[in-house]
Amino acid sequence: MKNALVIAAREFEEKRFVAYSAVAFALLPFLVGVIPMSHGRTPREGIVMLAVLLATGFTLGLSVITGASFVGRDLSDGRMSFYFSRPVGSVSIWFGKLIAGIILLVGCFGVIAGPARLVAGPWSPVLGVTFSQLTGVVLTLAVALFLIAHVIGTFSRSRSQLVAFDFAAAVLCGVAIRYLIVSLAGGQAMLLVKWLSISLAIALAAAIIAGGAWQLERGRTDRRRNHLALSQFLWGSMAVVLVLATAYVAWVVSARLSDLNGQLSATHSPSGPLAIVGGTAKARADYRTAFLINTETGDTTRLDSRAVWTAIYARDGRSVVVPRIEGNVAQLQIYRAGARDPVDTGLSLTAGEFFPSDDGGRIATFTSPRVLSVYEIATKRSLVSARIPGTRFGRAFFLTPDVVRVYNQMDDGLQILELDVRTHRLQQTGAIASATFIQIFLDPTAAHMLVRPARTDNLTLNDARTGMVIRQLSIGSPAGAMRFLRDGRIALVVGPHASPRLDILSSEGAVEKEIPLGPSNWTTFVGDDGDRVVLAVKRDRGDELLAVALNRGLVERREPIREWVRASAGMSDPRPAMEPLRDVLFTDAENHIIRWSPGSGAKKVITGGLASGD
Amino acid sequence: MTDNAIRISDLTVQYGRKLAVDRAALSVERGRVYALVGRNGAGKSSLVRCLLGQQKPQRGRVTLFDEDAWARRTPLMQRIGVVTEDADAPPEMSVAAIARFCSRLYDKWDQDGVEARLRAFGVPMTSRFGTLSKGQKKQVSLALALATAPELLVLDDPTLGLDVVARKSLFEEVIGDLADRGTTIFITTHDLVGVETFADRVGMMEDGRLVLDEDVEALKSRFRRIRFAAQPLALDTAVLRPTLVRSWGGGSEAIVSNYDDLAFDRMRTTGTIGPAEVSAMSLEDIFIAIASGKREGNA
Repeated sequence: MKNALVIAAREFEEKRFVAYSAVAFALLPFLVGVIPMSHGRTPREGIVMLAVLLATGFTLGLSVITGASFVGRDLSDGRMSFYFSRPVGSVSIWFGKLIAGIILLVGCFGVIAGPARLVAGPWSPVLGVTFSQLTGVVLTLAVALFLIAHVIGTFSRSRSQLVAFDFAAAVLCGVAIRYLIVSLAGGQAMLLVKWLSISLAIALAAAIIAGGAWQLERGRTDRRRNHLALSQFLWGSMAVVLVLATAYVAWVVSARLSDLNGQLSATHSPSGPLAIVGGTAKARADYRTAFLINTETGDTTRLDSRAVWTAIYARDGRSVVVPRIEGNVAQLQIYRAGARDPVDTGLSLTAGEFFPSDDGGRIATFTSPRVLSVYEIATKRSLVSARIPGTRFGRAFFLTPDVVRVYNQMDDGLQILELDVRTHRLQQTGAIASATFIQIFLDPTAAHMLVRPARTDNLTLNDARTGMVIRQLSIGSPAGAMRFLRDGRIALVVGPHASPRLDILSSEGAVEKEIPLGPSNWTTFVGDDGDRVVLAVKRDRGDELLAVALNRGLVERREPIREWVRASAGMSDPRPAMEPLRDVLFTDAENHIIRWSPGSGAKKVITGGLASGD
Repeated sequence: MTDNAIRISDLTVQYGRKLAVDRAALSVERGRVYALVGRNGAGKSSLVRCLLGQQKPQRGRVTLFDEDAWARRTPLMQRIGVVTEDADAPPEMSVAAIARFCSRLYDKWDQDGVEARLRAFGVPMTSRFGTLSKGQKKQVSLALALATAPELLVLDDPTLGLDVVARKSLFEEVIGDLADRGTTIFITTHDLVGVETFADRVGMMEDGRLVLDEDVEALKSRFRRIRFAAQPLALDTAVLRPTLVRSWGGGSEAIVSNYDDLAFDRMRTTGTIGPAEVSAMSLEDIFIAIASGKREGNA
């Protein structure tokens, strides 16, 4: 240690002229400060900004120059023997030089920026960054540049062909690090990416620092042997670090369904057995993963973590389209119930929306600039494309595999369009005039629809193709959620929060049943199985799922939940599900995802459990 | 514990495909002066770097005072003074600053001795090292090397750049004095005249190989220059082995490496050879003869 300090003092003495230059740079802003400032700046601000710029530039420039020369130059000039002819160890030589270099960087920054710091007071010189933060960033960057410049200086000054190996090793490390970061970023694990980046940066700095001592111990006065020793130590260390990091990342991304326990989210196909569950997993920080689950068989398939928000189910519930996102491009893949591997649709989107046909055999896309296209998955062919006029909000679905119907919200109402794959024709079939946004709910055959302009209780039964009003429906006020049931009847929630009821109307609109639900702040439809309707309700005392027996006209079963897992298909397909509702997914108070059968009341835990801090 | 200050065995140094030192082996007893000679590029500096623990050989071992020179370099350097071939001190530093820096690294340091020697050499302490002449730099290095009263002094071509007076002073007053006081000295040099008076043993390197390693007196006693009046030469090579034979005036000249007075007298009395004159050789002459003989294949 004593010898290291002796060498540090000598190195510092040798570079004392740099410190004198720093003093001159420190004075410069105060000389410039007497010049009147433009743009309303005060002289004080001018002094501080110039001092910060000079301190940053000087320190970073010095870090590169000093880093590249503090060992490399002595080696290439044959002056390292001056130290090695003395009773001083390689470690002392290295750390003496290193300490002197870092003190010089910190000292010069302090000398130039210090007086400005005193002048600045509470004023923040750069984009609201405090002096402490600025100092931390600049000095961290300077030390990093200093160490990297040392490595490059040692490698380049040796004039050894080994530099080709170093280049290849650096590229390999870069590729490996990118792969690790992309793997974690795919799970939106920004915290883990940050930790990994910091850990790798620290490991690299430690490898360079320890490698410097190693290179001088093994190479001593020989520049090529120094290069060889540093190269072996640096890349060997980085290989070990990257193997450990890869093992850790592999463990993180291998989270199983049963490991999920935080920030759970899920979607459920409205008719079939498919569901997607995503969330963070035990001891894996903020890494998110997602699984496609077949609730009938229990089969699970790992998906891109974003699938829980981006996947679209086919209406028959037997398939789901999942975008595999790489950079700005989403490759559409289709997973089918019973099949292990996905089918690549050959479609990729950079922006826009998509939805599959009811049987999952075709996909329609809405892409900029408002182009609706239909693709056949089996042949990976584009069948038809058409430009949709002035879309503000569109709801679209495959009426049949050959016809896509679009409800196109315009400024003056709703435009109804049909795109025919066989004739390649886009035809407007109807319209509904309205100055406000129009809510629509279609019957199972898509022949009729309920139409309600937003923020009104005015409900009409319309022809779903032409938009023509068939009849005005008389309903209670205020009206809440509504939809067609699978048998063609209409279900709607009416009445105030204190005493809402579920009204069942015939397909013509005649009231058949009025079923009281009890107080609720908000009610929505989950689905129906022919015998009962399932509703999700928010109450002051907690949320519930209600199974309402249609024939008996009462709430048959209540299940307390934390959150209901929404079941949906397509781009908010306004039609009811194709199959009777069998299961409903929800999260309970202990953060489990539960499969609940409204018919029997049976429950099964799919995954989850309390996570700390969740 | 042996009496060897230096022991080099099977030393091999290679740079890529080039063999700089090829299985060299030598030893230097404590208190003796060893002069290693050889032409430029013969491998002397590589051998010295290994000797000082600055370079790890591909094969072989160097021990100094029975300790491995590579593994134990740091503590060994407390006992060794070094004057390197190239002046390696930082050029920006003053001589005084270099002395101050070095004094902090050694257990014992004779600052007065440094100043006295530099005064004697005529080197100002305030001068920046980079501004000194090549000879002055060597003198500074030597003054620093002697400040620790080393048990072993390693001098890598110390006379390079010195004028005649300084060279004479170095050899006769400094090194000669040290040798008299029992300091072991290992010196590489081209100046064979200078070392001849005090070197106990001499080694010669050629193309990385140590082709000669012998006590100076023994070497000088077996080498002779014989000049013959007649030509061609009729030398019985079974008795006197010529290293070099060449024409000289009207006759011829032979350098023999196994001269023996009795054998030579016998040849002369039996009339095997004609009139001939025998003379002793300096180390420099021997070195030149060996080097020339090697080139002509008479080694």
